[in-house]
Amino acid sequence: MTSAGRWAGGLAIVAAFVWSSWSTDVSLRRLVEGAPFMLDFVRRMLPPDPNVLGQALHGALQTVQIALVGTTVAAVLAVPLALAAARNTAPRWLYYVTRSALNAFRAIDTLVYALFFVAAVGLGPFPGVLAVIVYTATVLAKLFSEAIEAMDPGPVEAVQAVGATRIQVLRWGVLPQLGPEFVSFTLYRFETNIRAAAVLGFVGGGGIGFYIQTYLRLLNYPAASTVLLVLVVMVMVVDFTSSRLRARLI
Amino acid sequence: MIRLRGLSKRYAGGAVALDGIDLEVGAGEFVTLIGPSGAGKSTLLRCINGLILPTAGEITVDGQSVTGASPDVLRRVRAKVGFVFQHFNLLKRLSVLDNVRVGTLSRLGSWSSMIARFPDAETERARRALRRVGLSGLEHRRADTLSGGQQQRVGIARALVQEPRVLLADEPMSSLDPALSRSLMELLRHINLEDGLTVITSLHVLNLAVGYGGRIIGLRAGRVVHDGPPAAMTDSVARMIFGEGGS
Repeated sequence: MTSAGRWAGGLAIVAAFVWSSWSTDVSLRRLVEGAPFMLDFVRRMLPPDPNVLGQALHGALQTVQIALVGTTVAAVLAVPLALAAARNTAPRWLYYVTRSALNAFRAIDTLVYALFFVAAVGLGPFPGVLAVIVYTATVLAKLFSEAIEAMDPGPVEAVQAVGATRIQVLRWGVLPQLGPEFVSFTLYRFETNIRAAAVLGFVGGGGIGFYIQTYLRLLNYPAASTVLLVLVVMVMVVDFTSSRLRARLI
Repeated sequence: MIRLRGLSKRYAGGAVALDGIDLEVGAGEFVTLIGPSGAGKSTLLRCINGLILPTAGEITVDGQSVTGASPDVLRRVRAKVGFVFQHFNLLKRLSVLDNVRVGTLSRLGSWSSMIARFPDAETERARRALRRVGLSGLEHRRADTLSGGQQQRVGIARALVQEPRVLLADEPMSSLDPALSRSLMELLRHINLEDGLTVITSLHVLNLAVGYGGRIIGLRAGRVVHDGPPAAMTDSVARMIFGEGGS
């Protein structure tokens, strides 16, 4: 790149930043003025109200369940999708069609899918599960298809060379290579889906998010802080367990 | 044991890998296939067990035609032909023992192979093969924790448990240092003499080919340009195979 081009590029970024800050009402003065209110907010959240612990735990459990069912179904759906989206397993036209469709569906976030499914099937955890399935299937299909493309053809050839049947080649040449990677990607998505499922309750999709939103609306801050604490612990426990499992897989 | 008639292979891009090969290898022979890279050695070996389909010509292994064979027949031929790869081609995450037991798949039912239930006799055969290649005690190590020389020995053990009639080795030493290469060459020769197994090994350098007896076949640009005992391998023959300045 020429130095003139670099200057123009730098200038464009600065211009975009200034313009965007102005458009979004970014104001240091308002942040400073708001600080006492934030402190007040935190002060009113303390101490957390232990009476809603049962509710919070119930919500947390439901969030984990939404993520668990959603991620599992998505992983199963992602396998055929990935085969159709990998250069080395799909015909050219199918590869392009599947890749484009996956990119389009992945542009929409889980929360937006949740709004759609709440409207379609009503309130509760079920539309949340559906939202997790749709978004996660598109993400996992992309990750799986990349793993399929990066697979080493050598061992597959070796298993063919011993006189194995097609199904034996899949079991002994392909599965040992892809299996651990697929499980690892799925666990990783399960971790992220815990966070995604935690806010599904804001739009009526069930789980712990419902209680966070309800107590904040009722201005019951001690109750809200109990729910938030449970959320933090839940996310940490799942992250820890899942990353330990993943480390042992690969 | 192996008969090639007018064998030719032209790849999709138009490159000619094999150009009318006529060759006969008898049972129990020890053949070294030499030639510069790109001479067609890999293609020739892969045609013999049907990993590559030739464009023209005919191949028979132990009286069975490979060209135009049904998938079922092809599998039976492959079961009788052990193949050792240049880059070992092991399943990296599997144990050494499992990698060797892959060699028994052609004798195993679909269901047993799905749930990885190998008969004790096959496991014992795999252990014996590992002992033979000098890897006893490493059965439960992950394949990718072994050194290159050890991994290639696992590759040889995997071929041996097939109890094959023929052993094909595609530049098995090219990723190893000279001392390891010699010990592996000795192992192959040993297997050839002890089991009466027909062995064809390709090499891209000449110095490993002489000194183990048997028969040396020189390949250049997809044609057989030399065929004789090691004693017939003179400097002028080597130059003809590898070109001026080659070794």
